[in-house]
Amino acid sequence: MVTATRFNAPSPLQWVSLVTAACLVLPTCYIMYVALTAAPAVWNRLWSTRIPELLWNTLSLATSVAVTTLVLGVSLAWIMVRYEFPGRRIWEWAIVLPLAMPTYVLAYVYAHLLGMGGPAEQWWQSLMGPEARLLSPHSFSGVTLIMALDTFPFVYLLARSALLNLNVSFEEVARACGVPGWSTLWRVTLPLIRPAIAAGLALVILYVVSDFGAVSLLRYQTLTYAVYQQMTGRYDQSAASILSLLLVVMAIIFLVTERWFRQRSRFYQTSGRYRTSTRRREGVVGTALITTYVLLVFGASFGIPALMLIQWSIAAISQGAVDARFFGFVWNSSILSALAAGSAVLIGLPLAYLASRRPSRLNLACLQAAYAGYALPGPVTALAVLVLFTHFAPALYGSVIVLLVAYILHFIPVGLQSMEPALQQVTPNVEEVARTLGCTTRQTLRRVTLPLIQNGCVTAWVLMFLQTMKELPATLLLRPVGFDTLAIRVWLEASEEYYQLAAPSALLIVFLSVPALLLLVAKDWRGRHQGVVT
Amino acid sequence: MASSPRALLAVMCFLGALSIFQLTALAAFAADKLVVYSGRAERLIKPVLDEFQSKSGIQIELLSSGTTELVNRLQAEGDNTPADVFLTNDAGSLEHARELKLLRPMNMREVERAIPSQFRASDNSWIGLSGRFWIVVYNTTLAKPDQIKSLLDLSQPQWKDKIAIPNSGSEYLQAGVSVIKATFGDERTKQFLEGLKANAGTQVYQKSSQIVEAVAKGQVAVGIVNHYYIYRHLAAQPTAPIAALMPDQQPGGMGAIMNVSGIGVTRASKHVDSAKLLIEFLVAQAGQKLFADLDKEYPLHPDVKADPALVDRHAFRAALVPLARLAELREPTLTLIEQVGLR
Repeated sequence: MVTATRFNAPSPLQWVSLVTAACLVLPTCYIMYVALTAAPAVWNRLWSTRIPELLWNTLSLATSVAVTTLVLGVSLAWIMVRYEFPGRRIWEWAIVLPLAMPTYVLAYVYAHLLGMGGPAEQWWQSLMGPEARLLSPHSFSGVTLIMALDTFPFVYLLARSALLNLNVSFEEVARACGVPGWSTLWRVTLPLIRPAIAAGLALVILYVVSDFGAVSLLRYQTLTYAVYQQMTGRYDQSAASILSLLLVVMAIIFLVTERWFRQRSRFYQTSGRYRTSTRRREGVVGTALITTYVLLVFGASFGIPALMLIQWSIAAISQGAVDARFFGFVWNSSILSALAAGSAVLIGLPLAYLASRRPSRLNLACLQAAYAGYALPGPVTALAVLVLFTHFAPALYGSVIVLLVAYILHFIPVGLQSMEPALQQVTPNVEEVARTLGCTTRQTLRRVTLPLIQNGCVTAWVLMFLQTMKELPATLLLRPVGFDTLAIRVWLEASEEYYQLAAPSALLIVFLSVPALLLLVAKDWRGRHQGVVT
Repeated sequence: MASSPRALLAVMCFLGALSIFQLTALAAFAADKLVVYSGRAERLIKPVLDEFQSKSGIQIELLSSGTTELVNRLQAEGDNTPADVFLTNDAGSLEHARELKLLRPMNMREVERAIPSQFRASDNSWIGLSGRFWIVVYNTTLAKPDQIKSLLDLSQPQWKDKIAIPNSGSEYLQAGVSVIKATFGDERTKQFLEGLKANAGTQVYQKSSQIVEAVAKGQVAVGIVNHYYIYRHLAAQPTAPIAALMPDQQPGGMGAIMNVSGIGVTRASKHVDSAKLLIEFLVAQAGQKLFADLDKEYPLHPDVKADPALVDRHAFRAALVPLARLAELREPTLTLIEQVGLR
């Protein structure tokens, strides 16, 4: 009886979730509307000038980064799962650390390291003569390298768990049938983990396509960067909207691909009867080679950049860069992130709750709507929110609220990813027991459900807090007067090549991101992956 | 186990409450402050504003951002804008803001006495503060000054892969191209831009300081930048092999492309008196010297001398296109730039 009435009359919660979902998809729809109703002349102008180049730049970069991360990620996963070498347990974790480094931080460190007259070039020239040149960080290969070093852990993580879950009997069967070792790898092992690799690559591509920090500092023209340039260089936002529309379509394609592969990868989960592979111990030479390779990748992707940041920070601190103003930026960052994360938990909870307790088509649609922000690169989120507020609530433009809305829209998917499983783990039986024992709906919620999902909410909060802290493009475009954040300072100082001054803020961001990253990775370290987004 | 998340939740609530308090407090503070939107880099304006703040006791809140972005922002905020003063490095943007009725016409005798009329809006809704020239920087070991007479020479194939230019979102480039377009017409401007694009290749920079840096390092031989970037670099590294070149000085030539940094009071400002004090401070001789020297620009007050390191202002000619025209020229210029496909 009780359930029947619940389903018939929409509860206040239902209304709340409906309104929230509508608010969350509104900016995206509006930006699409602006793009589609833009003057044909603007479309023509863009098609005949910028779009082909931008599409080519974006897609070729995504492809080359994907190939590089494929090689790095799979080879490392293979080494970690199949070989035993000194410090393996530590390396297994350490190699994930690049995800704690925002792309703009890695990009600015490399702009210095590999740049004209930088330390790497000086060393190279001392070996090869004064005319020798290294690859420029601003070139296509330079940008590829930097983006790949930052994103290969996505592929690594997914390939690693696929390899760990792989039933080694398949390989043994192949070998028993006389298939040689390498051929087994190509014909059995890799095809079996292919879905995991594909899912990892889709994440990498989505990441590259929506990145703003690295491409803006390295001046590589992608669609996302062009949206920002159109927004800041033009009085009219229709060109930016058109480019945004293209980006959203592109991101949705990648997201759908990723989902599809992730679902397919479930077919490969084997039952309890599978056996894992044993780790091989190589001879001295083999071990030395493996260790060198791992060390090299770790050094390039995290070790050396982190050391540079520490060294610069020390120099900057001794020059008095960490003053009251700096702590003001830390404070601004913390407040904005705390507010955004807090509101996103409050907003996301009803959506996740309804979708897991009353999975009607409507409630599931509301939840999916909240994931819309996933497909929006930072500058596009900013543009969407900005255009919407300028047209419908200009009074709020330039206030903290606009920025908060952008953050929530952009990062609520990250939070939902933690809140959804937490809610699903609470069996409805517990709540029903509470009801039979005489608790009202509200009491049940307060005394049973909420305490049980607290952990999930805290995780969601922490993750969104840190994402917001690192966020760059939306903050850059929407920040209110006197509200610079750490990320803004890194970008402003780094883009004027004041590397040392940018370092303390950058180091703090990296430092704070590490625990959150480990939290995320530890959540299902052994098993299947939920997809990591940093 | 249960207590630790609960404690965390409590901390979260506390932080939330604290931040709401902080935000309301901030809004209250801002109400008493003079809010300056500045398209001029923070480093170049903050010391001047700090000086004004300590002299006048008027508190200033500064938002530094892109110039066009700020015009968009002012327009979007309309009457609700917190901004009292708009300060930028591009007369075209100021004139555009005036046309959008974002700025307030001012009647100030101090201004009329200090700043010549060609550097102000007709109704004084914006007032030029310092002059800047879009000129050539060259590496003294890689290029000779007699190789370049005009900016247009840089589109010649001999400069392939040897020049660095700002990106097309830069207001200097847009203003510069507008002046070239007004002087030479569409066809030659288009040829010029196409040559420039081919010659620069990937050497397209977000910041002019990076262009000077690239020239100093010998990455490229020549760059187009605002003049002060050269002197600023030389002040930091006196031995850098770079020099400034004033182009288009030949008889009948266009003259060096000039723009001004300027200031306007927003129409919606509730602190007009404080804003007037700031303007008075900036157009007075001491303020002019401070403002211009910080960025190694040319003061517009005729009695104030420029930094002695700069080329003497009387030694070269400026282009004749009136500053206020930069606004109307901008849209067609942007279209041209995009047609050519400059980055």
